[in-house]
This record gives sequence, C-alpha cells and structure tokens, in this order.
Amino acid sequence: MFNFLKNKRLFMLMVGFLVLIVMIGLTIGGREKITWPEKFLKDAVGFVQQVFYVPAGAIAGFFQDIRQLDEIYEENEKLRMLAAAYARDKVEYNFIKSENQRLMENLKFTEHQMEMNDYSFMIAHVISVNNDANNRTININLGSKHGVEKNMAVVTKDGLVGIVNSVSPFTASITPYTELSSISTNFNAISATAMGKESESFGILSDYSAEQDRILMTKIGENDPMEDGDVIITSGLGNIYPRGLRVGEVESLKVGDFGLTYVATIKPFVNLNQLTEVFVVSVPQNLDTEVDSTGEEETAS
Amino acid sequence: MSMNRIVLLMLAIFILEGSLMPWLIPVDYSDRIIPHFTFVLVIFAGLYASRYQALILGMSFGLLQDIIYYGHVIGPHFFFMGLIGYIVGMLLERKKATLMLAIAVVGFACLAYDSALQFVYSTFKITDGSYAWALIQYILPSLFLQLVFTLCVYVPVRKMFEKRMRAIESSDEK
Repeated sequence: MFNFLKNKRLFMLMVGFLVLIVMIGLTIGGREKITWPEKFLKDAVGFVQQVFYVPAGAIAGFFQDIRQLDEIYEENEKLRMLAAAYARDKVEYNFIKSENQRLMENLKFTEHQMEMNDYSFMIAHVISVNNDANNRTININLGSKHGVEKNMAVVTKDGLVGIVNSVSPFTASITPYTELSSISTNFNAISATAMGKESESFGILSDYSAEQDRILMTKIGENDPMEDGDVIITSGLGNIYPRGLRVGEVESLKVGDFGLTYVATIKPFVNLNQLTEVFVVSVPQNLDTEVDSTGEEETAS
Repeated sequence: MSMNRIVLLMLAIFILEGSLMPWLIPVDYSDRIIPHFTFVLVIFAGLYASRYQALILGMSFGLLQDIIYYGHVIGPHFFFMGLIGYIVGMLLERKKATLMLAIAVVGFACLAYDSALQFVYSTFKITDGSYAWALIQYILPSLFLQLVFTLCVYVPVRKMFEKRMRAIESSDEK
C-alpha cells in the first residue's frame, strides 16, 4: 500500500481516472443548461468555424451544381408537374383551411389549441461537425439570441435531422438522429405515424442501429396498416416534437422481441454528411396565455 | 518557436478539422474516415518535445473538443488525449525518433485512442455497435487518413517542436 502511494505516476493516473468518471457522471444524460464558460467557448470557436465551413460548402455546392447540369432538364419537367399538382391542391387546401378555422371558432378552441400546429422555420447554417464517430454533433449558427431553445426539432428540406441539444447565445448544437437511443435520457421516443394513415398507424422512433444504419420504430400495433415503403412522419402526439416532419421510409417490418408488437426499420431521408442549411422548427409556446384565458373565462361565466 | 505559436497552430488545425475537413472527404465516406489531426499533433509533442507538454496540450484540446461538440458526455477526449500523449512522451521522449518510428507510433496511438473511446461509449451504452464492427467501419479507415496527415506535416511540425525544446534547454543552461 505504501509502495502504491509512493508511485506518483500510478497515483496520478488513478486520480485522473476518477476525474474522468466523475465528469462523465455529471454530464451524461443531457443537462438543462450549459455553464457560461462553455457558452463563451462555443460562441468564440463557432464564430471562427463558420468563416471556413460556409464558404467551403458554397464552393462544393457550386461544383455539385455543375456536375448535375445535364439532369436539369429532367428535373425541370418533374418540378413543373409538381407545381401544377400544388396549384390544384392549393385551392382545396384554402377551402379546408377556412372551414377548419370556422369550426375551431365554433367549438371555442383556446388560443393555444388553435396555434398549436402553427410552426415557424428558422434558417440556420451548419458551422462544424464533430470528428467522433459515436457522437456526430452538428453545430449551427443560430442561438438563444435568435430564439432557438433546447429540444427544438431540426430539419432539412428532405426530412428530420435531429433535435437541439444545447444552446449558447450565438450557436446551438444538434444531436442528430443517429444518437436516438431508448436508454438515453436526452433523445428518445419520437412518436411517429405513416403518411396517409395518420389516424390508424402509430409507432415510436426509439433507437438507431449504427450497424444497420437505420432508425428502429418500435411499439407498432398488431393491426397496424403500415407497409414496406410507407413514408414515416412525426405525429406530434408527444407534444414535444412538431407533427408532420418527414423522417424516412419503412424498409422492413417484423415481429418485435416479445411477439406482441412490430418493429420497423426505417431508412432516413436525410444524409447527415455535408449538410449546409438546416431549419430549426419553432413550436408556438403560449401555454401561459392559455392558462390565463381559461381562468378569465371561468370568472366571466 | 514560442508556446503561443504552437497553441495557435493547433487551434487552427482543430478549427479546420471540424469545419473544412467534412468538405474534403467524399460524402460516402464521411462517417467512416474521421480526422483526428489535433491528436496527431499531441503525439508529435510527445515524440519531439516533452511528455508534460503532450499531457497539457492533449488535455486542453481534448477538453475543448468535449465542450464544443458536447453531445453525450464531457471527459473521454480530455482524458485519453492527455493520457496517450503522456505515455508516448514517457516512452520516446529522449530518443530521436525517425520518420518510420513516428508513423508507427502515430498509428498505434490512433488505434488506442479510437478503441478507448469506443470502449467508453459502449460501457455507457451511448453506442450499440460492437468493437469488431467499429474497427472495420471507422477505426481502420480513419487510421490511413491520420498516417497521410502525419507524412504531410512531419518535417515542419518536428522542426517546430524541436526548436521549442532547444530554446528551453538553452535558457536552462544560462
């Protein structure tokens, strides 16, 4: 024992190891807020990093555009057809929207209920990507000064990227969908459904399988009409993540561990490599006003 | 070569590996080839400067990486970058390492670093991939990138650290 204490190197190694375990213990599982030295470092480094990432992305995008020049004609054709379809749908959408609005007013929806699905999108630029295979954190150049908050969903035009994990005044870190895990306390369980079968289909995006490179959707009911090739979207039932964000495509559906529910493997739409622009989805938060208004109504009646 | 210049250079490398490298690696290999350039420089510090310098540089840049890209935990990069840098310094500090030895040491150090991180992450159930899978998926492919980087920067970085050491030694003699 005396010998062990005398060996300074071994002793320091043990102390270092203890510090490691304590640090991991303190920081694992997501913290509500990060401390001010961390915020300062993130902002300072983030400011320099965006000077490199954004122009590099622009240059790479330019060369990609040149490479895709010959596909433009085909793409144009497709877009024209899509635009025509949208024009048709838009008329119907307007009718349904105004009808919906009228019914909501007749049914005396509260302000909060009416605006629940009124999301706004904030454009953010990616400024850096972590060089660690097991933690692909992505930093963006919007922060709490711009209204970004923890747990907001982040998407691209293709679909879901992840959620905001920590926020500093001018930058924010995104935890991508690759870190979904049913054991983790900061990113699990996004309720989801299949597009076109929103009322009958339900499942939970709970895990990401690194080896298969797929998201696992669990707790799918026995009589669920979900099929291979269905597009999975978030359902918004958990009231944390907004509804209607595209996630991926069902690749296979099989019986789960206990034989009671089904598990689907989902091929995500978004490729996380070389992202440039992402959208932070901000959900209107006026729970306080709702409480106030119901209180007023009660006193009025 | 003052310590400030070394830290500044490593800071530049750190910033570039997060912001510029993702664009230089082909899209299909982005999650397989992962740069650890700051770590390579820490190993150089261990080889050509002193083990204490490697320890300090490794710990500070590891902590910086843990904080900037905080996702799950703070600590693994901080601990292992410092520890591996120190061990390399302890074994090879006084020997004049040749290019071949430097490449071999960087290779083994990168293997140890990635394996240690994978071990910590799987202990805390942050990743579900097995070690064998991780080895094929990203540890070995990114090893090659690190070795190429070592070859490219070997001469200037070695000179830089050795100059620093000579400056310290001459000031000691006075």
